[in-house]
Amino acid sequence: MPRRQQQLESFRSMTPSQFFYEYREVAGFGSPSRALYQTVRELVENALDATDVHGILPDIYIAIEREPENPNYYRVTVEDNGIGIQPQHVPYAFGQVLYSSKYRLRQARGRFGLGAKMAILYGQIRTGKPVEVYTSPQGSNKIYFFRIKIDIQRNRPIVLTRAEFPNPSGWHGTRVSVVVEGDWPRARSRIHTYIQRTAIAAPYANIVFRDPDNRIVIYRRRITKLPPIPREVKPHPHGVDIELLKQLIAKTNAKTLLEFMVEAFQGVGKKTAEAFLEYAKLDKNLDPRTLDDKKLEYLARKLREYPKFRAPSADALSPFGPEIIEAGLRAILEPEFVTAVTRRPKAYEGHPFIVEVGIAYGGKIPPMNEPMLLRYANKIPLLYDEKADVAWKVVDPRNFDWKAYLVNFPAPIAVLTHIASTKVPYKGVGKESVADVPEIENELRNALREAARRLRDYLLKKKREEEAKKRIITFMKYTPEVASSLATILKDMGVREEDVRKMLLNIMKKKLGIEDDKFHKLIQGLEVSIEE
Amino acid sequence: MAEYIDQVDREARKRALKVFQETFKMLYDQIARGEPPYMMLPKRTLANTIYDEKRKLLLLGPEKLKRSFLDLNESKKFMQTLLMAKIIYEALERDEYPTIRDLYYRGKHTIIYREPGGRRHEENTWDEQRESDAVIRDIEVLTGLLREEMLILSKEKGKVVGNMRIRSGGDVIDLSKMGHGAYAIEPTPDLIEFVDVDAEYVLVVEKDAVFQQLHRIGFWRRHKAILITSAGQPDRATRRFVRRLSEELKLPVYILTDADPYGWYIYSVFKIGSITLSYESERLATPSARFIGVSMTDIFGYGKKKPYLSEKERRNYIIKAKDADIKRAYELMNYKWFQTKKWQIEIKIFLDKKSKLEIEALTSKGLKFLADKYLPEKIETGDWIE
Ligand SMILES: Nc1ncnc2c1ncn2[C@@H]1O[C@H](COP(=O)(O)OP(=O)(O)OP(=O)(O)O)[C@@H](O)[C@H]1O
Ligand SMILES: [Mg+2]
Repeated sequence: MPRRQQQLESFRSMTPSQFFYEYREVAGFGSPSRALYQTVRELVENALDATDVHGILPDIYIAIEREPENPNYYRVTVEDNGIGIQPQHVPYAFGQVLYSSKYRLRQARGRFGLGAKMAILYGQIRTGKPVEVYTSPQGSNKIYFFRIKIDIQRNRPIVLTRAEFPNPSGWHGTRVSVVVEGDWPRARSRIHTYIQRTAIAAPYANIVFRDPDNRIVIYRRRITKLPPIPREVKPHPHGVDIELLKQLIAKTNAKTLLEFMVEAFQGVGKKTAEAFLEYAKLDKNLDPRTLDDKKLEYLARKLREYPKFRAPSADALSPFGPEIIEAGLRAILEPEFVTAVTRRPKAYEGHPFIVEVGIAYGGKIPPMNEPMLLRYANKIPLLYDEKADVAWKVVDPRNFDWKAYLVNFPAPIAVLTHIASTKVPYKGVGKESVADVPEIENELRNALREAARRLRDYLLKKKREEEAKKRIITFMKYTPEVASSLATILKDMGVREEDVRKMLLNIMKKKLGIEDDKFHKLIQGLEVSIEE
Repeated sequence: MAEYIDQVDREARKRALKVFQETFKMLYDQIARGEPPYMMLPKRTLANTIYDEKRKLLLLGPEKLKRSFLDLNESKKFMQTLLMAKIIYEALERDEYPTIRDLYYRGKHTIIYREPGGRRHEENTWDEQRESDAVIRDIEVLTGLLREEMLILSKEKGKVVGNMRIRSGGDVIDLSKMGHGAYAIEPTPDLIEFVDVDAEYVLVVEKDAVFQQLHRIGFWRRHKAILITSAGQPDRATRRFVRRLSEELKLPVYILTDADPYGWYIYSVFKIGSITLSYESERLATPSARFIGVSMTDIFGYGKKKPYLSEKERRNYIIKAKDADIKRAYELMNYKWFQTKKWQIEIKIFLDKKSKLEIEALTSKGLKFLADKYLPEKIETGDWIE
């Protein structure tokens, strides 16, 4: 009897850096053109997270330069005036995949602890160049300088250089510089669009961008109002599962379930906790640490079910607010009309979210067959995969009755949507589109309706005014002939041209039903003369 | 100059001036009361044209159009109407005789206006004479005055010869002594006085060339006719003149046109009036006018009637009808006033044969044939269509 051939599987583990090295395209680093765009994004978003989230009016400088040694190598440098990074964290923040200061329950652009490292990793594997970081934390009298590579096998930073300089001017912020292989000609328009969209949503920022063609684009600060600073919150009971419960229990000092409830969750006071425990038929004096997996499953389920918890707190969120959206749209698109709606906070699966919609119409916006859609999630502009996004589903003329709001395509209209949440349901770690969550979709639709109603009111008023203007011009230009004719035929009765004109003007005013000052404004500057 | 002006003219002017003042005083009163000024005009459309079967006249229907100055769509027309009224009024005052073309030029100005904000626009009071002519018609219906009564002239088109004397502008003119020429029917035929006449009927020829040929061979003298041409579509003066011959001198009127839908329509304009000028039919139409030919039955025969043309002549003279002719024929077929048995036969033969014929074909067959056989024989045997 032959011996059975034994096929032995070989096993090994992978570090996160190895994983993302292998699957870099899931993070947006699939091709040189996309990678260049993604690099700019990751660094700019980090720069903004270090400023507006902390109440600092951002000054952001972005540069992309061709490296002299290879035309396909680009140095991407982003500098901000943010809070900076404590020197002991710098090597990990830039040299270890999945290291972040943003794993917290509050809204920020960053979320995965991945972005900067992906850019660095991608640059390193092609160009062999390390990242260069200058940083000075707020209040520090030193500027720190690092050159770092990533040990991809071990997911560890390799610090090549570490230096300190005095900081006499009190500068704070961070300047990060990486060299990546890229394709500027193909990425050019995306990157410019990305920066423009960033500027639309951050009219409180100064943004300067120098591109490899040496074009310099400057977006000047339009307003000094910052969005509210998001505050970290505790988890909401509706967003709980077994794992989260375990983590919360491991951290807590609470001796009883009742104490635990009050301490671990947002919006839960003693009364609510008691009512819930009664509802769940759980002993309020139970030590949470004694709960086994079966009990934990039961508790998590009941927590998600209980309908009487307070809605998730919106303290962790930082919507733009209508003022910022309107200022941004106005400055960049130069429309004739703009409006913005910030909805009240809502929640899905225990995660609070706020939806905002802005509409810009007319002016310099060219007429298009579909609305121009400017999508944002946690203030990040989303450019790729538009048609897969829940926001497109809502504004799509096939789904939304634009005609009812007097918008007939082709129309010069741009719609801005913003979803702010402690957990935006992105479809991927590249953060390019948002999934169809029914609660979010509904809110988007409500917000769009609200904004579109204002647009309709505006368009109606404009139409009426234009008609009135057209009428006035028509009547005014024919009045001289009419008056002259009556004065000629009826001169024996003492009819005078001037009087007829005046009377006609009054009749016109009465008929059109416009107020005195408006009427005068309309006819002011309207000159009529007749050339025989 | 004043002494040369006819007393008749002067009376007409005075009357017209007064009517203008009264009409436009109403507009002024509206304005003085603070109301948006408007005028009511009968609608001059086919839909508002009524065929009066009893009197056999095309008349203006009862539908009215409100032309308001403060109506965006009517505002310009309103202005144009007043502008035209002013020009006519001034011409009346100054003892002038403008033509409709003069009026067009006098009223054609450029209105220049600057919008608030600075954009400059130019617009003409009217661009084409078609527009100013339409306004003249509006003023006629608004004031109830015909253009002749406002001393507006138009181009002379119609001509007449015959054994007849008339007085015009103080001169007596002998229409039998015009040589090879003819008397041009003046735009104000009501100011003509008939002195004496020796004729048995009136023959109106559509074509000027045929008129001249018949004149030169002395047709009117031989057959005791007043010979008239409208030279195509008849103008108002020719129509009025024919009407007066029929009404005041009781002469029968025969009309000779091409054998095609356009010829038929010319006949119907003489007889019952036109759609655009239906408000004047009562004065211009000659309800007793008869269509002498050329008829389809003259060409092809019908029942017992033998054709005037032989098979061979037909082959030579007949012209194939164009699509436009056919279309026009279908239109005429639907007009009430063509819905008589004889006309329906004419139109049917035409649509059947798809052929038309010009009067000249008959002169080609022989001028004598036309003058001394065809016309006299048809008149004698009553071979005409009413
Ligand atoms: N410009 C900066 N200023 C201050 N801190 C920064 C800056 N850039 C990066 N950091 C720090 O480095 C950390 C890692 O950044 P990285 O972009 O890799 O991940 P992230 O922003 O947390 O999440 P994401 O993967 O969603 O971008 C950040 O959490 C932040 O603490
Ligand atoms: Mg980041």
